[in-house]
Amino acid sequence: MAAPILQVSQLTKRFGNLVALNDVSLEIRKGEIFSIIGPNGAGKTTLFFNIIGLQKPDAGRVLFNGTDITGKPPHKICSLGITCTFQVPRAFANMTVEEAVRVGAYRRYQGREMLRKVDEVLQICELEEYRHQRCCDMGLAPLRRVELARALATEPVLLLLDEAGAGLNPTELAGLMDILRRLNEEKHITLCIVEHVMQMVMGLAQRIVVLDYGEVIAEGTPQEISTNPRVIEAYLGKGAVC
Amino acid sequence: MTNILLQNLINGALTGCIYALIALGLSLIFGVMNVVNFAHGDFVMLSMYLTFWIGLWAGADAVFTPLLTFPALFLIGLLAYYALIDRTLRQRYVTQIAVTVGLMTFLRALAQLIWKAQPRALPYSLIQGSIQIGPYTILASRLVSAAVSVLAILGVYLFLSQTWAGRAIRAASDDLDAASLLGVPYRQTYALAFGLGSALTAIAGGLLMTFQQVDPTMGVRFGLLSWCVLAMAGLGSIPGLLISGIIVGAAEAIGMSLWDPRARSLIVYLLFILVLWLRPRGLFGRK
Amino acid sequence: MRRTRKDWNLILIVALLGVAVLLPLAVRSNQYTLVLLTTILLYGVLATAWNVIGGLAGQLDLAAGAYLGLGAFTTGTLLIRWNISPWLGMILGGLVAIGFAFLVGYPLFRFGVKEVWYALSSAALVEVLRVTFLIWSQVGGPVERYLPYHEWSLYHLRFATYMPFYYIMLGMLVLALLVNHWIRHSRLGYYLMALGENEEAAEVLGVNTQGCKLQALAVYAFLVGMTGGIYACMYGFIHPNFFSGPMSTEVAILGIVGGLGITYGPVMAAILLVSAREFLRANLGGQLEGLYLVVYAAVLILIALFRPQGLGPLVRQAYDRLLSRVAKE
Repeated sequence: MAAPILQVSQLTKRFGNLVALNDVSLEIRKGEIFSIIGPNGAGKTTLFFNIIGLQKPDAGRVLFNGTDITGKPPHKICSLGITCTFQVPRAFANMTVEEAVRVGAYRRYQGREMLRKVDEVLQICELEEYRHQRCCDMGLAPLRRVELARALATEPVLLLLDEAGAGLNPTELAGLMDILRRLNEEKHITLCIVEHVMQMVMGLAQRIVVLDYGEVIAEGTPQEISTNPRVIEAYLGKGAVC
Repeated sequence: MTNILLQNLINGALTGCIYALIALGLSLIFGVMNVVNFAHGDFVMLSMYLTFWIGLWAGADAVFTPLLTFPALFLIGLLAYYALIDRTLRQRYVTQIAVTVGLMTFLRALAQLIWKAQPRALPYSLIQGSIQIGPYTILASRLVSAAVSVLAILGVYLFLSQTWAGRAIRAASDDLDAASLLGVPYRQTYALAFGLGSALTAIAGGLLMTFQQVDPTMGVRFGLLSWCVLAMAGLGSIPGLLISGIIVGAAEAIGMSLWDPRARSLIVYLLFILVLWLRPRGLFGRK
Repeated sequence: MRRTRKDWNLILIVALLGVAVLLPLAVRSNQYTLVLLTTILLYGVLATAWNVIGGLAGQLDLAAGAYLGLGAFTTGTLLIRWNISPWLGMILGGLVAIGFAFLVGYPLFRFGVKEVWYALSSAALVEVLRVTFLIWSQVGGPVERYLPYHEWSLYHLRFATYMPFYYIMLGMLVLALLVNHWIRHSRLGYYLMALGENEEAAEVLGVNTQGCKLQALAVYAFLVGMTGGIYACMYGFIHPNFFSGPMSTEVAILGIVGGLGITYGPVMAAILLVSAREFLRANLGGQLEGLYLVVYAAVLILIALFRPQGLGPLVRQAYDRLLSRVAKE
């Protein structure tokens, strides 16, 4: 069993009276493809934001390779090796694809090496033909890949993806899953996909954690999760378990 | 010595209620569309000038002028929204606020040109005299102004909580997407917020004219005051605005009497910066 | 041998520089024109420096007057009291400007603080400094403090004619343009562009948004502070009115009208608008002096509504068309 690379322990986040995350604990192991799923409003995105540093938890800790990153600013977390892509693409609208990826590449490189990194990443994400297009002129599927490319250019050890599969047709989805699989196997990047699209979860994830109402209700392999009655109940409501 | 200090404190606190009213107008606009109307202070100046002219020509008392100036400023607010803000909603944020900076510069420079630096004041008011409480004298005009301001703030509070339009504004400031899904038309809501926020300056302007004079630099002063009150209060709490207004008014008065009367803007600014350093969300803010 | 676009750009730059260098010699005797040209250059410098914080970092800064005044007072006071050369005074003035800039910028550039607070605070800073220096009679006070007169002193940076100031200003303009250009094509430039587009995305990609904005602010404040020193020597005195709100707004207007982020944009806007201001002043007389500000404001609003990219891109299009026609021949 591989060593844990990210450890979330007893993470709690409140918004006024609403408890978005309640004592959430999970572990992501090095080199695996991990997934967080749950019905709408379960707190997946909140958990996501709290790990990546865009929100500060009210209680609990996040450890990355033993280092406490709880509440650290996102740019520091990126330097340590974690980055993410967003559900609603936060595109650099007026920049070209190449320029956007450069921003990521500048994290670790300068000059010619930076340019080489950009080329490499554009290749992996199959964006070579879009190099000089402005991000605001891109369709959803290629834009998702631009988000991915930007993130990859920072050479993350752990990459978090928030609903990267949403809104993609079957072909686009398969293409994305392909790229992600290759990233995991060839580049050894640990992936954590927060997803709704079950196809992607079942097709990629090795371990899954299920959230509901801000709490972890199940953990296991895709096989175990898909037959877990509590999970089915969370998604389909009581009475759906037959 | 302390008597004078306390006297100034009371005066300042009363004036602070008017500051709160002005800031409330700003808060409505900022809360809903994340745009600060840089010209808001100059709208106050505009209201004061309108009050002056109406008072002079119609012989009306400053307290009654809001009957005319309120709708006037409301219309001006709507006009400003549709002509300027609405069109820049899709632009970069710098451009959005630049437009209101342009409006501010325009109004201010125009006022300087037309009215020169000569201050104007209304010669009389129905509200005369003062009240004595122990060693302290409170001008009736200041007391009435404070009372009317608080009533106006209360009125806005009720509007926001009881009427559909008001609740639409609150919804839009909380979550625009959700609000539009519920049928809240965002453009009209924005326009309403802008119009209402601007119209509140009409009330404040009228009240101010009962004991103040107006000149083209008023915009600078009330601009800074309203930003300071807003920063201190944060967004989302109307009682917070009132309290902040009183604090700012009191601080201004104390500073002026302890330090230097010319330093009034300095004290307010120091307060402003202090709040932004320590609590950028404001003391009572919920967002 | 066919000339590339880069070649043509170089030719244009050299030509413009040549004109700029030779211009004052042509109008040597006319002090009025010299002052006008120097003033255009001055606004060009200020607006180009503003571009770093306004165009590249995307913050609406309204404190140019604050930094100008701080630079002027630092340089002027050092010269008057301790006979320290403005060449050194300028640098110190720039540093003082940075100090005050950080006072406002540090808390307000924190991630998550709404951008508008910086704009408001910077606008207020100018006004407050003006009042402060008005009251503070030890350093300021309501009366002008005159710099020592010298007919021609390079050390004291005082001259009886405006000609040397023209060239110094020109040098500052070249510096400001180079700084702009260099930043745009550097990592800082990309980071600034990114955070201007989407701050959250930039942060998760490793951009220290607060740090980057502060860097841009420091560059801008330093340049303006330095220019303040020259400004004091040009006018021969220092006065709290140097902390001018209207001037700060003017600088921002030039930056926006010229085109946010475009290196040469603000200079063009400066040439256009400052000339227009002079024209108005000369033809309409002192009574309607404030009119130019009304015109500026109107121009700003119109540009923001109808041509938010500014005039820069329009000129660029015209230049492109001219180039393609020339290249055909």
